[in-house]
Amino acid sequence: MTSQPVDLDKVLTPASAEGRKEFETRAFASLQSRFEAVMDPRDRWGLTAVVPARLLRESVRFLRDDPSFLMDLMLDITAIDYLGYPGHDGARFGVVYNIRSQRFGSHRLRLKVWVEEEDPVVPSVHDLYRIADWQERETWDQYGIVFEGHPDLRRLLNHVEFAGHPLRKDYPVRKRQWLSTNDPMILPLEARLQARGFQVLEHVAANSPSVEETGLLGKPAVEKVNYVEKAK
Amino acid sequence: MKVRNQDGEKLDLLTVNIGPSHPATHGALRAFVALDGEMIRAAVTEIGYLHRGFEKMVEQGTYQQVLPYTDRLNYCSAILNNIGFSHTVERMFEVEIPERATVLRVLLSELSRLIDHQVCIAAAAVDLGALTNYWYLFNPREDVYAIWEKLSGARLTNAFTRIGGLYRDTYEGFEDDVRAVLPKIEKGLDDAFRLLEHNRIFIDRTRGCCPVSAEQAVSWGWTGPCLRATGVDRDLRKDDPYLDYETYEFQTVVGSTGDTYDRLLVRMYEMRESLSICRQALSRLKPGPVNTPDARLSLPGHDKTYHDMEALINQFKLVYEGVRAPAGEFYGSIEAANGELGFFIASDGTGKPWKIKVRPPCFTQFAAYADVVEGSLVADAIACLSSLNIIAGELDR
Repeated sequence: MTSQPVDLDKVLTPASAEGRKEFETRAFASLQSRFEAVMDPRDRWGLTAVVPARLLRESVRFLRDDPSFLMDLMLDITAIDYLGYPGHDGARFGVVYNIRSQRFGSHRLRLKVWVEEEDPVVPSVHDLYRIADWQERETWDQYGIVFEGHPDLRRLLNHVEFAGHPLRKDYPVRKRQWLSTNDPMILPLEARLQARGFQVLEHVAANSPSVEETGLLGKPAVEKVNYVEKAK
Repeated sequence: MKVRNQDGEKLDLLTVNIGPSHPATHGALRAFVALDGEMIRAAVTEIGYLHRGFEKMVEQGTYQQVLPYTDRLNYCSAILNNIGFSHTVERMFEVEIPERATVLRVLLSELSRLIDHQVCIAAAAVDLGALTNYWYLFNPREDVYAIWEKLSGARLTNAFTRIGGLYRDTYEGFEDDVRAVLPKIEKGLDDAFRLLEHNRIFIDRTRGCCPVSAEQAVSWGWTGPCLRATGVDRDLRKDDPYLDYETYEFQTVVGSTGDTYDRLLVRMYEMRESLSICRQALSRLKPGPVNTPDARLSLPGHDKTYHDMEALINQFKLVYEGVRAPAGEFYGSIEAANGELGFFIASDGTGKPWKIKVRPPCFTQFAAYADVVEGSLVADAIACLSSLNIIAGELDR
């Protein structure tokens, strides 16, 4: 495990309005002085701190490990596409991290990283929270945000043959795609075996006749585009 | 698949798909495993078989039109999802709902939690071959569904709350129906308890089966009964109370080892607490309005709409343009039956949500599944899966 041991028996301070206010002031001051954070005015109910992508990992790690914060629960990672958002001027995507603490009820905040459309890359935090692995995969799948350093950035909810990123505002709602085969998942399985100390001597035979036809076996799933647009 | 293990020994592993369409996978979940005999050496999981684009669809309509979609998230306790969503939007408006609506929401929440836990425990017992529990638990569940039908007109997809309150007040005799169903649930629960708690076969199958430590569970982002089974005493109803939960007397239930036995027993004991909360809520139920009078959220009612121009305009604007949540971004959550159910809403100030992201509690549990079952037997993996209570509707959205 990469996170520091969690002393979970410690009495939790329940959430309170004063506690939240105090936490938000303190957290923002720390993030501002250490990680060039600025307040996001869109969050009028709590604290959203915008940090630069290059300082994201350090700020997440700081919030997780600092004894006065201990934000040990990564609730959710997602992105927002601001294409066409009224009055929005700036980067197209905001990648959003909802974090809270299991120790202090009042500790919850949101981190946001602005991401340009041309270069949608943010550093991965999969090694800081294990759940971030899937959360980042989902965000890649739905928005096309690349999480640099993620070991296995594959689609999560959409089909392996799916092309495009459906939650982007310019993805048509009624667009249809023809998806033909299953995901063999042989490469990820071999990777897991290797991670557990096994040496793979002979690759498994394709588990479905269609796999070889589609050429899915030897390629990373994300690169493969094999679809037919049925309807506009 | 031929492999060599760390000791240099050659093994011939068998690769098998568990699911996606298998009675034991409760929905459509796929685990692709490499087996050494009956031992799972490695596993990878695939989800998305029930992905229907919830988050894309909800961007197309108004906030009120999102509500029926939330029914389809955790369809075993639809009303809890309705409450989670409505509550989040109300918090964006900073509006309080009337006393009766609050108490009714607590009552409906706990009844939903009861039937959700019943599904989990009964299905888990069936997967272990203990079929009798199924009837003890599912018969009273059917009575709750009879109440849902009278209350909302639907069995599974109730859409019973509204932003700012409830769809409508309860029917005549609702309280008697609930009073009658609680002892039945309790009886079924006691019967299942007696059959399972000290049952040698059940204990042998579930004790020490796929344990998860507290540290792992927190890093995996677990919440709810599965987290409490690892010994971490966290419950949003206590830690960050909503709907006046701090005024109800109940205990959180924690396990110790985080194995399948603990996960199931925590749910069974939690049902006792939920029964107690239901009774407390019943005793508090007083007549009164169930919708906030705030014109930004609630329809004015027919008597006014038909006779007052302002009210007619109000009705028209609310129905055609939707509830106009203040521009901004907000994350709100409640303790659903499976854990923390969160809604992250980005609003641009119009009646249509700019974006809604659901934080489903069982997403985190299934993300850990491959890790949890590696090194255990196939039969244990099945027992573990049903104790995690994965609901594909909210997992895949």
